[in-house]
Amino acid sequence: MKALRIHDRDRRFAASRLGSVLGSPNARGRGPLSLDTSAFQQAPTTEWQELKVMLSGICGSDLALIEGRASAYFDPWVTMPFIPGHEILARTAEGHRVVIDPVLGHQCRGLPVPDDVSAPADGHDYSHMVGGQIEPGIQTGFCCSAGGGWAERMWAHPSQMHSVPESFSDEQAVLIEPVAGAVHAALIALRSRDEAPLLSVIGLGTIGISTVAALRHFRPDARIVAAGRYPHQLEAARQVGADVVTRFDGLARALRRLTGTAMIGPDTGGGADSTLDCVGSGDTLRTSIGTTRPRGRVVAVGMPAEVTVDLAPLWHRETELVGAYTYGTEDVAGVRRHSFEHAIDVISSFPSPWLLSATYPLNRHRDALAHAATAGRRGAFKIAFDLREEN
Amino acid sequence: MTPDRFQLQRVLGTTERAVRFAMKPLAGRGFPLRAPTTPRGVIVPDQPDTLGAAYDTEWARRPVATISRSLIVNGPLRLAIGVLTRPRVSGLDRLSALENGDDTMPVVFAANHESHLDTAILIHAIPRCWRRELVVAAAADYFFDRRWKAASASLALNAVPIDRHQTGRRSAETFRGLLDDGYSILIYPEGGRSPDGWAQEFRGGAAYLAQRAGAPIIPIYLEGSGAIWGKGARRFVPGRTQVVFGEPIMPDADMSSRKVAARLGSDVARLADEATSSWWEATQRFASGTTPSLSGPETTSWRRSWALHDRRRRTKSGRPRPRPEWPQLS
Amino acid sequence: MPRPGFVLDVDRSTPPMLFWHGERFSLERLPADRSRVIYPAEPHPGLRDVRAEIRRAIAEPLDSEPLAELLNPDMKLTICFDDVSLSLPKMRRPDVRQLIVEAVLTEAAAAGVDDVHIIAALGLHRRMHDHELRHVLGDRVVDSFASSGHLYQHDAEDPDNLTVIGTTDHGEVVEINRRVAESDLVVYANVNQVAMDGGWKSLVTGVASYRCLSHHHNPQSLENTRSLMDRHHSALHHSIWRMGSVLRDHGPRVFQIETTINTDAFPSPFDFLSKREWEWTARDRASYLATSKSLDRTPTRISRRIFHSIKAPYAVTGVNAGFTETVHERTLAEVYRQHVVEVEGQTDILTMGIPFICPYNPDSVMNPILVMCMGLGYMFNMYRGRPLVREGGVIIMTHPTYREFDPAHHPSYIDFFDEVLADTTDPHEMSMKWERKYAEDEWYRHLYRTQNAYHGVHPFYAWYWGAHGRAWASRVIIVGGHPDTVRRLGFTPASTMTDAFELASDVVGTRPTITHLHVPSVLVADVR
Repeated sequence: MKALRIHDRDRRFAASRLGSVLGSPNARGRGPLSLDTSAFQQAPTTEWQELKVMLSGICGSDLALIEGRASAYFDPWVTMPFIPGHEILARTAEGHRVVIDPVLGHQCRGLPVPDDVSAPADGHDYSHMVGGQIEPGIQTGFCCSAGGGWAERMWAHPSQMHSVPESFSDEQAVLIEPVAGAVHAALIALRSRDEAPLLSVIGLGTIGISTVAALRHFRPDARIVAAGRYPHQLEAARQVGADVVTRFDGLARALRRLTGTAMIGPDTGGGADSTLDCVGSGDTLRTSIGTTRPRGRVVAVGMPAEVTVDLAPLWHRETELVGAYTYGTEDVAGVRRHSFEHAIDVISSFPSPWLLSATYPLNRHRDALAHAATAGRRGAFKIAFDLREEN
Repeated sequence: MTPDRFQLQRVLGTTERAVRFAMKPLAGRGFPLRAPTTPRGVIVPDQPDTLGAAYDTEWARRPVATISRSLIVNGPLRLAIGVLTRPRVSGLDRLSALENGDDTMPVVFAANHESHLDTAILIHAIPRCWRRELVVAAAADYFFDRRWKAASASLALNAVPIDRHQTGRRSAETFRGLLDDGYSILIYPEGGRSPDGWAQEFRGGAAYLAQRAGAPIIPIYLEGSGAIWGKGARRFVPGRTQVVFGEPIMPDADMSSRKVAARLGSDVARLADEATSSWWEATQRFASGTTPSLSGPETTSWRRSWALHDRRRRTKSGRPRPRPEWPQLS
Repeated sequence: MPRPGFVLDVDRSTPPMLFWHGERFSLERLPADRSRVIYPAEPHPGLRDVRAEIRRAIAEPLDSEPLAELLNPDMKLTICFDDVSLSLPKMRRPDVRQLIVEAVLTEAAAAGVDDVHIIAALGLHRRMHDHELRHVLGDRVVDSFASSGHLYQHDAEDPDNLTVIGTTDHGEVVEINRRVAESDLVVYANVNQVAMDGGWKSLVTGVASYRCLSHHHNPQSLENTRSLMDRHHSALHHSIWRMGSVLRDHGPRVFQIETTINTDAFPSPFDFLSKREWEWTARDRASYLATSKSLDRTPTRISRRIFHSIKAPYAVTGVNAGFTETVHERTLAEVYRQHVVEVEGQTDILTMGIPFICPYNPDSVMNPILVMCMGLGYMFNMYRGRPLVREGGVIIMTHPTYREFDPAHHPSYIDFFDEVLADTTDPHEMSMKWERKYAEDEWYRHLYRTQNAYHGVHPFYAWYWGAHGRAWASRVIIVGGHPDTVRRLGFTPASTMTDAFELASDVVGTRPTITHLHVPSVLVADVR
């Protein structure tokens, strides 16, 4: 079986860290990723089923890991060597299409499931992630026993599988996982926000656009300001329902115009009720805090690494800074559903195929990763590996 | 300060000893290496007096002298004055109607006088179109009593001797000739530096000269030079000065020179008021006739210096006053 | 003897013409036998002794008692003066306003007046910086009055200091600065650089409120202002004159002192800018080459600083004082004498080079809205009778039009560009939909009152200024401008003059007639 695998070789990681400063290292073929053909590994437990991968997306967290930019926090949560890829559309042995919730929760690991947990990423204690019948690993795509999406075949536990509606095309289906993450983040941002909230979204890649769409889906009354960098992103944000679309440097002024507040230095006196930072750099987090109203909420959606942020504004404005990790069971108006189900609703309501900008076969992984790393500049959103011919 | 003074004396002493030692071979020699002695019974005729008011300064206006003066004056002297006295010049716009590039007519600058620095400060402040050909009227009995003093004053400052006790016809003719040749004149109508910081009465000499030559008089008020290095001061303390130019007094054949002198005095008093308070207050006081006199209150000496201290405190000129110290808190 | 302005018919031996291009220049060749260039008159000589002339004018005023007779010790005297939007470029010190104010204050001191306020009549313009006040009024006046709070700048957003003095018969409310309204005598020190200014406009706009200004600063009035330089055919000036009658009948006594200046705008080494191209000496050509080559290599920031530090050697050509209306007629006669050029007929295309400065960006950036204001507002309006270009013709301007704004002086312009122009470029629509929001925004109000920002509504006024030009021409092309920015303004971008003519050809044909306005010196074209 052909698969892309990340091996534990410090030298190659060091090279990729240096290389990521100059641009994507995979374009130079010096990264830690290698394409190999090997035997399909053993099933982790008997419950796990074999799937044939159809499409598998490339996410910012994968790129961060490959380029050596991922936080050291994840070191105990990831086991090498593993096959990356957690945005997976696959076909079961019976021929049904499924998308995978890659979080390796209690059920996958054969551990008893606590009462408050129904989806793998729920709960108040993550200890199970390093226990049970499989190796430690937060998700499929980061665990040496669980396999991953950038391969021809993979194993999945039934609790991870969600069926895809017949009406969905393959290109729509592979977006369910990232949109589910956006849905989860949007619902965190909307907690206790009652009348016509003013919401601000920074960063308009796949996650940002999905977040704008999710916010619009849940709250048609909200006013949404979206800030991005590239013209195609701004246009997409307008199409999925943002009220005001601006470049990064115009965000503070746009919020000022909408609220009528004053500018104090680079920040606004008032600001948005909730801000979703889908970039996660030091600058965007600082801008988010400075343009959110006092006692507002900043949701860190995009995975940040080690950033330097001045937290004095956070302290002064009593801002709630909260992370949004993947998906889980969402309680919307008393009804409990999985984020993936909401994601399916959101995708149905917007023209999603164009979020999948390009696909590549596995053997062109260097081009694929280079494209994903510079997606914004090249007018793209989501890049995925297409393994349908091989299967 | 004390160690530095002894250092200087030591150096001077060493130099003097070295010169004496070098001069030893000459000690036993006589005429012609040394000056002759006069025999008894011989009457030495009087040399014509070529010093004092009769000193001829024409050589100092020849090209060679002019060039060397511009090297001394325009370069180092202006820089030194700028650093040591930091003059703040105002009122130059009042002269804009007289400035005409190369055709500028010469004028007579009349200023109050507090210190030897005044001339250097004014040379610094006067606009270039007059500064290039400027002559300073210097006291004949002070600057021109020794040959070396006369030569230095003429060369460095383009000074011309003026008899300050009585403006003789010869001085008037000299100055008239200079004005005709296009030289502007800088003169101190008080006749000398102020002894106590307050101005003395303005004599008629400047007005008389300007009237005879038909040149406009520019009144100037100088503040602060007396506090830096006044008459009788032993030390030189760098500080700030202020130069205020007033409205030109145009020549008027009908006005007597005494009237012009009075007008000049009141103009400089008004400029002084402007410098120590504000232009508007000074204008209002001038209109109501209450401009404070330049020569200070007519009282005993300690009250005069008291009032002088008050007045100096109102301006920013003079010596820098010690700043209040911040308390040390740890 | 200064030569009058004239119209040059371009033929094959005509050298290329100088075009302003923001902070740079270009030389463009105009097509022969169908182009003409309007040259302004040479500068008239100035008065020999301005101070004496001012003293004479206030002692022998027109239709008024001499100033000295109007002053008494118990009165409230207010002196208002034109703000930093005049002169352009700023004149060498001493500024004529300094001479006027000092002369008036000398009279006031002689009369024993104590209660004197000096107010910068800036309307909704920005507050002046301290160094600008010192440049205009001189150090003596500023030092005497600023610290006691008697020298200050008009605040149109201070409700406690505004008062209504009356309403015209067209229902226009005349609301002005309270101190001005309640004074016994108001003296106005004016610099009449263009025919638009002076007369009742000085006080009626300079110390008015937003409410009062909106009666004539609106798209309707400005579309019917034909032109800004001709008050008899200008709806703007008709409204202002109506308000002036109210001021005359119900307001304070006004003693207007107006001065005219010649057009000697550029000292050497920039004096080649006002010369006729075929009269450029070798030295002028060398200056032009040196200047344009070095400017091409200089960052815009620095070349902007160089240009804004130019001090014009303007000479004062006349001083008139007394009753506003009589004085203004004399002033206008003098202004037209210097500015008017007789021109026969209109052409299909009007070209003009836009300089680095307009009345609303002294010492600051010329943002895209001000490019439109300068071109379609001021320069298009430099006519009497009929515009230089036919109705439905094409206007071609040259300016880099970069998307750059001064956030300190023009904060509301940035939002106007991002929000309002993205929605509409039609002056009527924006006036109904957006103007009120900008006029009442608290943040802009705060910046106008306490910092040095133009009022929130000011970008709208700058846009309305070009309303007549915008309605008259069927297409406006900007050569050398930043394409997206030019399109946002509603205009067409072109990279070269040839392309511009090509782009104009579907409106005016392939052989249009062209007029080029040879500014920088100001002129007024009397078009028959």
